[in-house]
Amino acid sequence: MKPKEIDMVKLRGIIGEYKDVKWGLIPLLQAVQEEFGYVPPESIEPIAEALNIPPSEVQGVVTFYAGFSLKPKGKYVLRVCRGTACHVKGGQSILSSVKKHLHLQEGETSEDFQFSLETVACLGACFVAPAMMVNRTYFGKLSPDKVNNVIGQYEKTEGDG
Amino acid sequence: MRNVTLAVNGKTVRCSAGTSLLDVCTAQGIDIPTLCHHPQLKPFGACRLCIVEDAKSGRIFASCVTPVAQDMEIQTHSERVVRHRRNIIRLIMAEHPESCLVCSKGNHCDLRKIAAQLGVGQTGLYPMHNYQGIEQANPFIIRDLTKCILCGKCIRADHELVAAGAIDYNHRGFDARPSTLFEQPLEKSECTFCGTCVSLCPTGALTMKNVRYVGAPQKEHESVCGFCAAGCAVSLGVTDGQVVEVTPSPRTDTVNGVTLCVRGHFAHDFLKSEHRLTSPMVKKDGEWTEISWTEALEILSQKLLSVKKEHGPRTIGFMGSSKCTNEENYLFQKIARSLLETNNIDNGGHLFGLPLAAQLDKRLGGRFRARPLKGLEQAEAIFVIGANPGNSVPVAGYHIKRAAQNGTPLIVADPLPTDLNRFAGLRLAVAPGRDLDMVNAISALLLEKKAYDASYTAENTTGFSFFRTGLSSISFERASKTTGLKLDRLEQAAEMIAGKKIAFVIGQGVLQQPKGQETLDAVVNLALITGSLENGASGIYILHRENNQLGALDMGCAPDGLPGRSSLSDEKARKTWASAWGSKMSPDPGLSLVQMIREADKGNLKALYIMGENPARSLPDPGFVKAALEKVDFLAVQDILMTETAQLADMILPGAVFAEKAGSFTNMEGRVQSFDPALPLPGAARPDWEILAMLAQKLGMDARYSEVRDIQKEIARLIPSYGEQYLASPVSWVKDAIQEDQPMAFTTPVCWDGEKPPAGFDFTAITGSVRLHLGSGTRTAQSSRIIAWDGRASIEMSPTDAASLGIEEGDAVRVVSQTGSMIGTAKLVFGFPEGLLRTPAGVAGHSLAGLLDISRTPGAVYSGCKSFPVNVEKSNET
Repeated sequence: MKPKEIDMVKLRGIIGEYKDVKWGLIPLLQAVQEEFGYVPPESIEPIAEALNIPPSEVQGVVTFYAGFSLKPKGKYVLRVCRGTACHVKGGQSILSSVKKHLHLQEGETSEDFQFSLETVACLGACFVAPAMMVNRTYFGKLSPDKVNNVIGQYEKTEGDG
Repeated sequence: MRNVTLAVNGKTVRCSAGTSLLDVCTAQGIDIPTLCHHPQLKPFGACRLCIVEDAKSGRIFASCVTPVAQDMEIQTHSERVVRHRRNIIRLIMAEHPESCLVCSKGNHCDLRKIAAQLGVGQTGLYPMHNYQGIEQANPFIIRDLTKCILCGKCIRADHELVAAGAIDYNHRGFDARPSTLFEQPLEKSECTFCGTCVSLCPTGALTMKNVRYVGAPQKEHESVCGFCAAGCAVSLGVTDGQVVEVTPSPRTDTVNGVTLCVRGHFAHDFLKSEHRLTSPMVKKDGEWTEISWTEALEILSQKLLSVKKEHGPRTIGFMGSSKCTNEENYLFQKIARSLLETNNIDNGGHLFGLPLAAQLDKRLGGRFRARPLKGLEQAEAIFVIGANPGNSVPVAGYHIKRAAQNGTPLIVADPLPTDLNRFAGLRLAVAPGRDLDMVNAISALLLEKKAYDASYTAENTTGFSFFRTGLSSISFERASKTTGLKLDRLEQAAEMIAGKKIAFVIGQGVLQQPKGQETLDAVVNLALITGSLENGASGIYILHRENNQLGALDMGCAPDGLPGRSSLSDEKARKTWASAWGSKMSPDPGLSLVQMIREADKGNLKALYIMGENPARSLPDPGFVKAALEKVDFLAVQDILMTETAQLADMILPGAVFAEKAGSFTNMEGRVQSFDPALPLPGAARPDWEILAMLAQKLGMDARYSEVRDIQKEIARLIPSYGEQYLASPVSWVKDAIQEDQPMAFTTPVCWDGEKPPAGFDFTAITGSVRLHLGSGTRTAQSSRIIAWDGRASIEMSPTDAASLGIEEGDAVRVVSQTGSMIGTAKLVFGFPEGLLRTPAGVAGHSLAGLLDISRTPGAVYSGCKSFPVNVEKSNET
């Protein structure tokens, strides 16, 4: 299965809002990522043109920030915390159960674009360690069993598009 | 500005606030190692090697990015600082491959140099190399990014100096590397191969690609680039009598600074071409026979004298060269005028608007001759008309782009997209050849809105009211129609320049069009009403084509122009020169370059002496030109290569390239730069000035020239605009020669209805310069790396037009004009205007000249070859 084709009209619309805006690059990239789930490589040149900067500079900013991705992400992005507190509380086993459950390594996306797996240095939720996020939702005090439950909530069911 | 006092290594120093610690220390003669710093780039603070210590606070600063503060006690080489520097170098080297033995950066490597200075050999650290593939598919630059130390010089040069935007950092931390978009190879990016990044790279990450490994050159020789009119100061790296690399001169007061272009860096390969002429030769029964210089000069002088005697001086022609030195052009025309009494003298600049530049100088009364390009960066607005400096005079392009990046409003008027578009605040896609109406309309709008410099025009000009009345009748509706520009675009242009001192950049798009003269006059009018001429940062910049076009004009290598830009029709000037030379001088107006060819065709030109020009290739309609040259009884060609013209000659005299002789060039700014020979002469070739000096003696000239200096002394004595300063310094500026203090006059606005296009032609071809070649490409076609790049002539066109003709990207296409045809490769350019084509000049084997008609303009000045009607079709040939 392939990710959806990029809606160029929509993309041009977003870019149009930021045309010639000074310091507009990062907000524009955020808007694009918000819309498409990633920054499609084909958006780099139109973005550069609109902001009057070289495309290589746009790419440089995209690849600098971990928050931007040039690759399509799954519908649900799992971010497993590797901070000190989580590590002490057994974060390592949380990560391995996620990997095992999804058959994914860090940085990978499932073939059906349902899940992406990432790790982060710290989610800032040490009080509920070990923790992970699914898109914008936090899940704390995890155990391998709980991980399976959490992932289960997001797994495709029959009839899902 | 406020001053600050501080101590540097115990010595009290005063400097203005805001100065960086590094600059202060450097000014004190203290050597602080740096890897990421360059005076022409903004401070960056990446490498941290320039750290110094403030003994008072104990703090350590990166001196390149730290401004001075009152009472600092700076130690530049304290034990602590040196220890840290060593550690920084150790860390950098732990990431850097140990390949110094085979690295072609050799002795130019800053990293190696600094490591040696600091005594770092083995790092003692675990090596952590970041292996990247070596990229060397292109013929110019090798990228071995394993050796990259992330100083960012290449990226900053790319952004700040040449404004190409091809590369930037990609990824972060350990993975970070300078990269093109999508990590494509350079040839698939915006890279122009100007090589500036290579010149700045402190390691072997970026090196020039040579045919074979040459290492660091044995010696570096200061010289001047021999291609376009920018006149970049270069350093010729010479090994075993051959130029192995060309880099920007380390001098700082140059037009180019640390930049060059692809031609400057890589096209000098022609210097070691196998096709160099190495012996005088005459054609006997169709075969070339080598002869001695004595014989050659005997034959040449006898032939010239006998033709003069038999047919009269007017049947002798002299073609001087916009590529030869001032001294050579001076001597060349002196021989013609004083010894053979003919004024049939011209140079190749004739094709590239030189007569118009001469006319402009007359109109300005000899004012504003020195116009430094750096003025562009101080102008209040820049208006580029019919110029594509990115290809024609790249260094001028860098100045314009930098100015625009720093906020100078930029208007670009060109029928076709150019690489300035990205920087332009306003782009005017004016219809080909209709710039005249556009400029007049903008002037009229400024007058209408009273947005002109009234006090300037009142005090410094004449004919203003006449001009205003002339423009008041202009129809904006008509102008909008002929120029193809909506009225609001013209209004926008007027608004952008209103109240500003404007720098006008004029290219071949104006100079080579049928109404070039009138358009240039209109530009002067616009410059006058805006008061733009006076200011050193504005005025009119003409982008000349070849390195010494202006010098050839200054030296009198033009039919109606005596040396020092005095006029042949001026009796006083004529007498002055005749008496200075102790000879007679004919008052008969001379023939221009094209007129000489036309007269040759009619059989009226009996002898022609060509120095360093290749009319059989550069002039329109090569078939006609060749046939005309064949009709000349005696054709002598003095050149460095066996050119198309040389093949037709009766006698060949092997001349020298700039790198093999001494002399001076005058660039488009009016900067006169002298140079000395860096290379030995090939075979029996002689410097052109020496050949001319020998000939002059043979023909009976009293003056003797045993070295270039002798000619220079005569020029300094007789041409006031060159004068003493030209003798005193290797770099000087052409001085104004203001005749009487007459105010500058407006010209009457001219309206032009355009040429009626002949039936049956659906396209308009526009001649465009290409970045890799210069002029007709005689020399660049002999440059191995240039031809290795791409020998194809790209015909740029709109994808829509291409689709309707069934043409795809990369297809062979034939462009057919009324005169001839040209084969090229289709290049479909997104956003390219329909109905237009860009046909490239100077690509070997693809004669653009064949499309043009030499009989187009019957007058003395050849013009109108910029755009012409054509058809285009798919072709089976390649």
